[in-house]
Amino acid sequence: MAEYANVVRRALGQLGGHGGVRGFFVQLFRVNDIKTGALVGVDKYGNKYFEDSKYFFGRHRWVIYTTEMNGKNTMWEVDGSMVPAEWHRWLHCMGDEPPTTHPPEPKKFLAEVHQFNVSGSSQQYVPFSTTSKKIHEWVPPRAQ
Amino acid sequence: MLRLPVVSRSLFPATLIKGGAAATNNARTAATATAAASNLLEVFVDGNPIMVEPGTTVLQACEKVGMQIPRFCYHERLSVAGNCRMCLVEIEKVPKPVAACAMPVMKGWNILTNSDKTRRAREGVMEFLLANHPLDCPICDQGGECDLQDQSMQFGSDRSRFTEGKRAVEDKNIGPLIKTIMTRCIQCTRCVRFASEIAGVEDLGTTGRGNDLQIGTYVEKMFMSELSGNVIDICPVGALTSKPYAFTARPWETRKTESIDVLDAVGSNIVVTTRGGEVMRILPRLNEDVNEEWISDKTRFAYDGLKRQRLTQPMVKDESGQLVPTTWEDVLTRAAGALQGVEGNDVAAIVGGLVDAEALISLKDLLNHLNSENLCTEEVFPMAGAGSDLRSNYLLNTGIAGIEEADLLLLVGTNPRYEAPLFNARIRKGWLHNELQVALLGKEVDLSYTYDHLGESAKVLQEIASGTHPFSKVLAEAKHPVVVVGSSCLQKEDGAAIMAAVSTIAQNARVSSGAEETWKVLNVLHRVASQVAALDLGYKPGVETIRNNPPKVLFLLGADAGCITRQDLPKDSFIIYQGHHGDVGAPMADILLPGAAYTEKCSTYVNTEGRAQQTKVAVTAPGMAREDWKIIRAISELVGVTLPYDTLDEVRERLAEVSPNLVRYDDVEEANYFKQAHELSKAVDQAVLTGPLAPPQLTVKDFYMTDPISRASQTMAKCVKAVTEGAQAVEEPLIC
Amino acid sequence: MFLSAVVRSAVSQTARQVRGLHRSAARAGAGGIFVHRDTPDNNADTPFDFTEENKKRIEAIISMYPLGHKQAATIPVLDVAQRQHGWLPIAAMNKVAEVLEVAPMRVYEVATFYTMFLRQPVGKYFIQICTTTPCMLCNSDSILEAIQTKLGIKVGETTPDKMFTLLEVECLGACVNAPMVQINDNYYEDLTPKDIDDIIDELKAGRVPPPGPRNGRLSCEPAGGLTSLTEPPTGPGFGVRADL
Repeated sequence: MAEYANVVRRALGQLGGHGGVRGFFVQLFRVNDIKTGALVGVDKYGNKYFEDSKYFFGRHRWVIYTTEMNGKNTMWEVDGSMVPAEWHRWLHCMGDEPPTTHPPEPKKFLAEVHQFNVSGSSQQYVPFSTTSKKIHEWVPPRAQ
Repeated sequence: MLRLPVVSRSLFPATLIKGGAAATNNARTAATATAAASNLLEVFVDGNPIMVEPGTTVLQACEKVGMQIPRFCYHERLSVAGNCRMCLVEIEKVPKPVAACAMPVMKGWNILTNSDKTRRAREGVMEFLLANHPLDCPICDQGGECDLQDQSMQFGSDRSRFTEGKRAVEDKNIGPLIKTIMTRCIQCTRCVRFASEIAGVEDLGTTGRGNDLQIGTYVEKMFMSELSGNVIDICPVGALTSKPYAFTARPWETRKTESIDVLDAVGSNIVVTTRGGEVMRILPRLNEDVNEEWISDKTRFAYDGLKRQRLTQPMVKDESGQLVPTTWEDVLTRAAGALQGVEGNDVAAIVGGLVDAEALISLKDLLNHLNSENLCTEEVFPMAGAGSDLRSNYLLNTGIAGIEEADLLLLVGTNPRYEAPLFNARIRKGWLHNELQVALLGKEVDLSYTYDHLGESAKVLQEIASGTHPFSKVLAEAKHPVVVVGSSCLQKEDGAAIMAAVSTIAQNARVSSGAEETWKVLNVLHRVASQVAALDLGYKPGVETIRNNPPKVLFLLGADAGCITRQDLPKDSFIIYQGHHGDVGAPMADILLPGAAYTEKCSTYVNTEGRAQQTKVAVTAPGMAREDWKIIRAISELVGVTLPYDTLDEVRERLAEVSPNLVRYDDVEEANYFKQAHELSKAVDQAVLTGPLAPPQLTVKDFYMTDPISRASQTMAKCVKAVTEGAQAVEEPLIC
Repeated sequence: MFLSAVVRSAVSQTARQVRGLHRSAARAGAGGIFVHRDTPDNNADTPFDFTEENKKRIEAIISMYPLGHKQAATIPVLDVAQRQHGWLPIAAMNKVAEVLEVAPMRVYEVATFYTMFLRQPVGKYFIQICTTTPCMLCNSDSILEAIQTKLGIKVGETTPDKMFTLLEVECLGACVNAPMVQINDNYYEDLTPKDIDDIIDELKAGRVPPPGPRNGRLSCEPAGGLTSLTEPPTGPGFGVRADL
């Protein structure tokens, strides 16, 4: 009986745990999920990391992305590559120590500011072609 | 080395000079043809009787019955050398095998082309030829189209007895076009004979003797001829190969498309060799009436210009004045929007030198629908007098092959050697074999044959016309005179006066010569491929009207000569450029419509003699480029004056309506009315300028880059560099 | 099978080396290679012109040929050029082409074909020693040895004072008078090592010794006196029937 009571309690917590009706819908549409859990930490960009070990392994840690990161509005355009390296480790269950309690060793190759994945954008990396172009198109001169 | 062109010509004139003096002599004396018939000799080829003319060689007699004799040094357009010995055949009751290419037949001979002795002789000769030939077929560019390879498979022995070392010969650097691997040379001397007989550049020769004999220039020197590429074709082995084509493709993996060259007004017949949607090389195609089997270096090597500087996407100018790529929908609506608002003199078009007849007619129909008649060509032709109303006034009426029959040629303000290399080769042929006398009026240039230089000024022309010049007497005595005026000297203001004077000279010479009715004297040698078709279709030559009367919308169709610049037009005028290369015209356009080049469309071109020929699709147009007439058709639909043709056949029906000769392919439509044209020319202002008649192409370095395609070509740029700085300047590290 | 192949290749190897021992005059002497390489004393810019005397000679030579066939005079005019200059630099060949109104290449072809046209500088005295079989049997090797020790040069070389060039050549057609050498235009025949020493000494002294046999022969008559036709020739009517 207590089990059922617990389920109802969790359900009510999920419905009301996002800051009213508006918060609930924002959460539902942004994340497609309304689960709540223990806030493990917030990174410097504002991404929030949650854990609820009641869930099945793999679903027990999640992130709610920030709404603005590196100057880009990420309210609706969220991307997995927004998670910085130090949190990636915890989020993907490579270890159980979050960077809040075990700060990562500073390495010179770690980026100061985390960069998004640029695939599909104009800055994406294109490998060097080893074959010469069959047609060299005309490049119009720069307008003065 | 046995090389006696003079002797061999006198020995067998009728057979060697095909279509030349002898053949026409026969035609002219048709009455005596029956008498000649009794002169025929009967010979037998493997027992089959055949009647041949006296003086026919054994090889030609065999050819007549369809029996090919293997050969290396013999070439039907060159003098007989007889030094490869591959054509040895046995003749019944003759003790030794004879060289078929140099031996005239005698009555009753039975030529045994496949006897034991013949086969042994061939095998022996082949063994000697291969003794010093490297076995590098796998890395040789001639592999697959090599005479030596084919004939050694067919006639050679299946094993070698040769164990000594092979002779090696140093490679020569004879320019950026021809790669030499002289160790492969079998000393057939075809290239030497081509250089001295056809090209008229006696730079190649044989040095040394015996085993050390080698082909070369002796001194470090480029083989500087506008026809030099042809030695690649006539070389039976891989000694002379194409430098730009080196190691790029094998003949059996390529697709061949028979097409037409448009880089000059001759309209040489070519084969475009492609692989994987890329033009690999261009080879000549046999056409006795146009280019025989030669093509100029520009035709052959400018193909890499088709892959550079191409317009592959439609473009529009954005607010900052920068051309940016866009979609066809966008440009077509913009172009149509610009054209919709204008009418009459507010819209004009200029067409360039590489435009095909289909695009010309579409554009003309489109502008005519907009009530505009402002359709101009970049190339000027004087419209005073007969202008382009009488077709005879702007054609090379004698025809390219017809020049061989002439006995006196007057060139006015032209340098045919670089303006139309194959026409010049014909003149040289006539000069060499038919006693053609040449006179030149204009800047003194090297034409590869001797000529009388009459002066540089057009004043001399008028003296000849009035009969006060000593040359008038020479002209009056000629039986088959020809006068050729270059289109370049008609570009200035006094073009009409020059044309009138030339017309008078031609008419006088025509009357005094007493030649048959069909003989034509007046000729215009054009420089660009589109001009004759444009004039046939009623385009106005020259952009003078547009400069005087600037339109609001200007349509440039491949106009890259820079006749009209932005400065000539009002600030708010709108320029549409349609073409295939980003050259002179493209940067000033507001809208760019990418069209197809001549290897990418099936289209009609009319050469300077008025011969309609068509190009074929060898490769697809790059990127979003489309055939020109289709683009214009699409615009017309959006403008609201849909042109009534949807397919190529329908466009050609329309062409036939306007000018039926444009679709009678490979035929020359004869033009007459010389007398009337002459009468009309009397009315024009006869004042000529005193300056010299100097065609723009004077030396070989002016020859290579004359149009958007050859200007984009790196090979042609290398040629210019090599000509100015020496062959070492463009030398590349050898791969092999 | 395998053995025979080995033997065959060994034989052909030896054969090749034997061939290599003997090089023709065309290879070694008269200019070696058949392409032109610019050198300080042999390039197109070095001035060359015929002397007035030679110009007259050339005119006379050309007048021997029909009109329009100047090219036929290529060989004699090249010879005149070579006699004037001692050898044929490229400038001389170009000049000959200019005189004969033909393409330079046509002159190069002729000049490279004939070994007597010297396209490389030679000394004032150009010694060509025959070492072909008849001369070799008459001990031409000793003559060659004598010249080499006397002048201190090897075959194909020129003395530092540019006086002598030595070249080994094939048969010069004086087999009856073997051994022999040709020095410029003169044949010196029936030589002994002493004779050749004397000849070279004379030349060094600036005199040209008389050409011809050195063993007292007048010409190419038998060295040991006549062996036939010794008696005086018979008169007319010899061996004719008496009644005629």
